[in-house]
Amino acid sequence: MFLKSRENIIRFLFFLVIFLLLFFLGSIFFKSLNTTKIFVPDKLIGRSLPDFTAESFDDKNKYFTKNEIFNEKKYYLLNIWASWCGPCREEHPILIKLSNDHNLELVGLNFKDKKENALKFLNKSGNPYNKVLIDNNGSVSISLGAYGVPETFLINEKKIIELKFVGPLKNSDYKKILKKINYKNEN
Amino acid sequence: MFGKKVNSRILFICLLLFSLILTTYIIFKALEENVVYFKSPSEVKNISELEIKKKIRIGGMVKNNSIKSYSDYISFTITDFKNEINVTYSGSIPNLFSEGKGVVAEGILRDNNYFIASKILAKHDENYMPPNDNNLNNNK
Amino acid sequence: MILGQIGFLLLVSSLIFSIYLIYLIYFNYKSVSDIISIKIYTFTFLQLITILFSFFFLIFSFVNSDFSLVSVYQNSHTTKPLFYKISGTWGNHEGSLLLWLLVLSLFSFFFLIQSRNDLKKYRLLTILFQNLIIIGFLVFIIKTSNPFLSLYPVPLEGLGLNPILQDPALAIHPPILYLGYVGSSIVFSSALAAMIEKYVNKIWASSIKIWIMISWIFLTIGIMLGSFWAYYELGWGGFWFWDPVENVSLMPWLTLTALLHSIIILEKRETFHSWTLILAIISFTLSMNGTFLVRSGILNSIHTFANDPARGLYILIFLSILAFFSLIIFYLFQPEKKETTRFFLFSRETSILINNWFMIFFLVVVLIGTIYPLILEILNNSKISVGPPFFNILIIPFLIPFLIFMSIGPRMNWINTENKSIIKKKLLHLLVIIIIFSPMFFYFDKKNILSLSIFILGIFLLLSLLNELKEFFIKSKIRNISKIISHLGFAILIISISLNNIFSIEIDTNLKVGDSYKFKKYELVFQNISGKVEKNYNSVIGKFILKDIKNDIIYLNPEIRIYENPPMITSEASIKNNFFYDNYITMSNIQGGEYYNIRFQKKFMMLWIWISALVMAFGGLLRVFKK
Repeated sequence: MFLKSRENIIRFLFFLVIFLLLFFLGSIFFKSLNTTKIFVPDKLIGRSLPDFTAESFDDKNKYFTKNEIFNEKKYYLLNIWASWCGPCREEHPILIKLSNDHNLELVGLNFKDKKENALKFLNKSGNPYNKVLIDNNGSVSISLGAYGVPETFLINEKKIIELKFVGPLKNSDYKKILKKINYKNEN
Repeated sequence: MFGKKVNSRILFICLLLFSLILTTYIIFKALEENVVYFKSPSEVKNISELEIKKKIRIGGMVKNNSIKSYSDYISFTITDFKNEINVTYSGSIPNLFSEGKGVVAEGILRDNNYFIASKILAKHDENYMPPNDNNLNNNK
Repeated sequence: MILGQIGFLLLVSSLIFSIYLIYLIYFNYKSVSDIISIKIYTFTFLQLITILFSFFFLIFSFVNSDFSLVSVYQNSHTTKPLFYKISGTWGNHEGSLLLWLLVLSLFSFFFLIQSRNDLKKYRLLTILFQNLIIIGFLVFIIKTSNPFLSLYPVPLEGLGLNPILQDPALAIHPPILYLGYVGSSIVFSSALAAMIEKYVNKIWASSIKIWIMISWIFLTIGIMLGSFWAYYELGWGGFWFWDPVENVSLMPWLTLTALLHSIIILEKRETFHSWTLILAIISFTLSMNGTFLVRSGILNSIHTFANDPARGLYILIFLSILAFFSLIIFYLFQPEKKETTRFFLFSRETSILINNWFMIFFLVVVLIGTIYPLILEILNNSKISVGPPFFNILIIPFLIPFLIFMSIGPRMNWINTENKSIIKKKLLHLLVIIIIFSPMFFYFDKKNILSLSIFILGIFLLLSLLNELKEFFIKSKIRNISKIISHLGFAILIISISLNNIFSIEIDTNLKVGDSYKFKKYELVFQNISGKVEKNYNSVIGKFILKDIKNDIIYLNPEIRIYENPPMITSEASIKNNFFYDNYITMSNIQGGEYYNIRFQKKFMMLWIWISALVMAFGGLLRVFKK
């Protein structure tokens, strides 16, 4: 009887160890899901936009600095896109909707794209952007701390990043953006 | 008879425990000797004690107009837009390796500005950016 | 468009069938009758058919370039050859999951009709667990990875498939690997069911053996094809890189191999119940784990795809539920320890146990090497990678005792006292072989000692197997021919790899057009380059001449391909091979300059590495068909 119960305890402890081991692995996996991502969107929020210069889409060889792009006391939505990027098509209707809001100015950063393709894309699906910039080698996006395309930053009049969206904008993001802009204006 | 059985069982468990400990030791010893740490150029700048023999990986962007090729090696600069490091390398070059793109180089650090790479890795992902880039802008 | 919607509806209906099946199984399980109700057969069949058709519809959409579906738009292109349009179906996340699901339900159906002679309750429970897994996948697909998601407005042209993935080996690699992964799901479900029904015995062992064999065969071929792809298409000039994604497919292979051996003991000697069950459970858990690690993209590998954290989270939850659920079942229903049968130190069962220990050791090494970077990153926030030296140091030396046991073990008898003399005889053979080959140690470089030892032991294993083969054919002794063939394949593999290690030459250099490079007995001349325009890419072709000392000339034409959809550059290796070695050359341009980076390799026994894997699988196949 004593032997039996001792064996049971050993067995229980053995299983407990395996259980804890599995639990440990599971939580490591869970944490990696959120951390090994190359981007850390939240960290950028609340910080001021890094300096950069980018080529204008319309005028070749004309460059804008950060202060020239975000020159008005207004909300800006900086959107990194490309004609070859599928999810960009997905979010395009939302950008069009946002472009109707007068409190918001949209800036598009065309990422590693062919100019003719980009033009075709804008002509076909509509151009929501007030300004379009070019990022041919991807260096502007990198200095922005972007992860890929599409990616969107909401920047306030002090040039501070208020929101950042990795991947295509969803309807819930659209509402989030509207709420941010209109909240400020009501006050 | 009974005693013998218990004895052999104890022997078996001891043997098992011993081999288990030995295996763990061997594995972690090998792990310690063979892991390669990943650093950004800025982190490399801050290393005070150089471990000449230890291999590390440096990730960043290849600086524009920095690739120079010679007959038996190439040289280029890896930058994270805050600090840079000069790299020389001889060996095979992946197709995605070019200026303005992400790169990960593995090799040995000579000093805080000079790195001798023994391997260049590039991701098969057009939009790959090396890790740690995201932290750059946060420090500003 | 409409096809897509039907495809989705079919998936939803198959979810309903699966849930209904669980209900049916519950009542059938409680009923006293000894037969499984015909309804269960019908609905398992319906479940299979609906998934099959939804998969067909997806293939059809890819063939038709129906860009109204997001998955087609993102992964296909009208100019792509038909073969790659079809393989594009499972070349992406959504499609590959649908394929997983299809195989899962296919196996579940086959198990149901093949297991007629087994206990009814055990069969029902196996189908039940199988259905729980199917439901998990169905919900996953419908909720997070719907391959039939539609897109509006419909684009005119797709985004193309990654050109690196346009390779025949890769087109069939995932389906075969999945057959292996998913095959282990049956082993998993049936192990749990057998445990609950106290059915872990000889009969169970002999009926589940065939499933273990099937998934082992597919996994073997699948891993071989993946490695084949890396060699020919990625232009890395090797066949195994200890890349996390490769490791992840190797892990279930190791446990399945161990299981394949331990199930024989269970069948023949009725021991090792718990151990066999543990192996059955972890084989599938590791397969799922592989899917998780690859699909969630948390591993730092060249194969990582763009990913969505929600998907990773779902698989992780599913995986943890499976793991904890099976752990609890194992705790509650662990088979009672029977009075231990007499165990001999020198016997077949001991040698199989030793095989299992080695397999587990290799598994632990691979597992730790693969996930240690993840753990360290979380705990310590430092980014590291574990390189091939780690695996080489921990695995290659241990192959030496492993090979000795592998040569001697299978010749031993079950419970027999004569085994000592067999061992003595075998060790004598080994000594003779070592003496014969020992001059090689003086001839070759010091760094090759390990490879040489492995080579010699490989020969030892080969000879001992050939001897068995001779006994089989000439003396017509009853021996297990499929085992001999599989082991023969492994011996060839070991010999080829060690020779490859000892003799291969590798050259890395930068050359301009017109340059030549001398090394050892050879001279490599870079004659010229020319351009070519193909259907979906432009290419730059280099013309190289390899002269050896006897003035034998080999022409090599490596290529750089520039694709437009999506924009990408790939290197095509030029490989001229014969029976014993490959001449392998790749080139890449250095930033538009006049220098090209040239990598030339003479690789020995490459062909034999692929052949050996096929021989191993063929041995298993013989066993399946002998039944």
